Amino acid sequence: MDVSCKKIRTSALMTLFGVMLAGTFSLTTFGEDPRLDIKNLEALSKKASEVVDVNLDGPLLKLASKFMTDEDDREGLEVIKNLKGVYVKSFTFEKPSDYTPADVEAIRSQLQAPAWSRIVSVRDKREGETTEIYLMTEREGGKVLGMAIIDAEPTELTVVNIVGPVDIDKLSQLEGKMGIPRLGEQTKEQKPAGHHEKP
Amino acid sequence: MRNRSNFLIPAILSLALLQMLPFPARAGDQEFHSLVERMSAYYQKRPMRFMGWLDFIANRFTPHGVSHFQMVIFDDIDSSRTPPSEDFESSLASLVGPSYQPFVRVQEVRSGEWTCIYTRESGKERFEMLIVSIDATDAVLMKMQLTPGALRKWVDEPVKRGRDSREEARQAEVN
Repeated sequence: MDVSCKKIRTSALMTLFGVMLAGTFSLTTFGEDPRLDIKNLEALSKKASEVVDVNLDGPLLKLASKFMTDEDDREGLEVIKNLKGVYVKSFTFEKPSDYTPADVEAIRSQLQAPAWSRIVSVRDKREGETTEIYLMTEREGGKVLGMAIIDAEPTELTVVNIVGPVDIDKLSQLEGKMGIPRLGEQTKEQKPAGHHEKP
Repeated sequence: MRNRSNFLIPAILSLALLQMLPFPARAGDQEFHSLVERMSAYYQKRPMRFMGWLDFIANRFTPHGVSHFQMVIFDDIDSSRTPPSEDFESSLASLVGPSYQPFVRVQEVRSGEWTCIYTRESGKERFEMLIVSIDATDAVLMKMQLTPGALRKWVDEPVKRGRDSREEARQAEVN
């Protein structure tokens, strides 16, 4: 093999390596991975009376959508057909004082700008319930990459992580399904049109 | 008296015959049997007897869309052999095998009870579900086949159904 051929091959390999490196950085360093590290919440498991984990991804999610053939399922199917995964972690506590807002920081710290934007934050003082919805969008193009929901009640804390493009206007189709809690009328009213609140 | 013995003798005979059958014939498919064997080796304990008979009865009363129900119970297990909670999931996954996808996990912290539900596709429009429920004294293993409609109910309400499975496993231990 002559020297020029070797040079071309080396530079092609370097370019390929560069592209792969850039791809890795764009997903990890700049935080564009919508999958949350829910394992961060393991410390809370010791304080809870019950912990429920739901993993709905890969083949199971595909299969679920494959058999949503009823007329009533049409909108739901539209929402889940492009999703990569739905992950739910729910803690039940015996007393309201068994967990503090600081315990939720392990998750909230992963939902930082610029990758994530908090689009809904509702606090019901009477019921002691807080609901926050975060959205991860592509830097260029604004395509939704994933969503996170933190629903904190006095004796129940639920973290939902939806990976994949999800239409916020159709989120109600998933409420009460796949382990996703019902987010209530107040939350629906507060869904903004284009307004993104940074955390 | 005569009527009672007319009923009792065939019942005793069929139970005796059932116990003479090799375990796979009683407990169902070979894969489930090897999983039972792995659990058995892990806990160094044989499962409870008469399970083949219970499976036979349970299969006549399974909900719509559920079939091929199989169950074994290991009672009085050595709780010190149950892996610590941080290793529990990986230990169980290696016991169950890679073909099953973890779906729902319910952990009751105080009692140390775990219920793990796995699924996988099984042939055309059929799914298999494996439920493993372990507490300090017992381990229950259930396997069943689901139609897409029955699986759909699980997908819609995984938390509720996971909790229900834990209750069913408890009932099976009690009975």
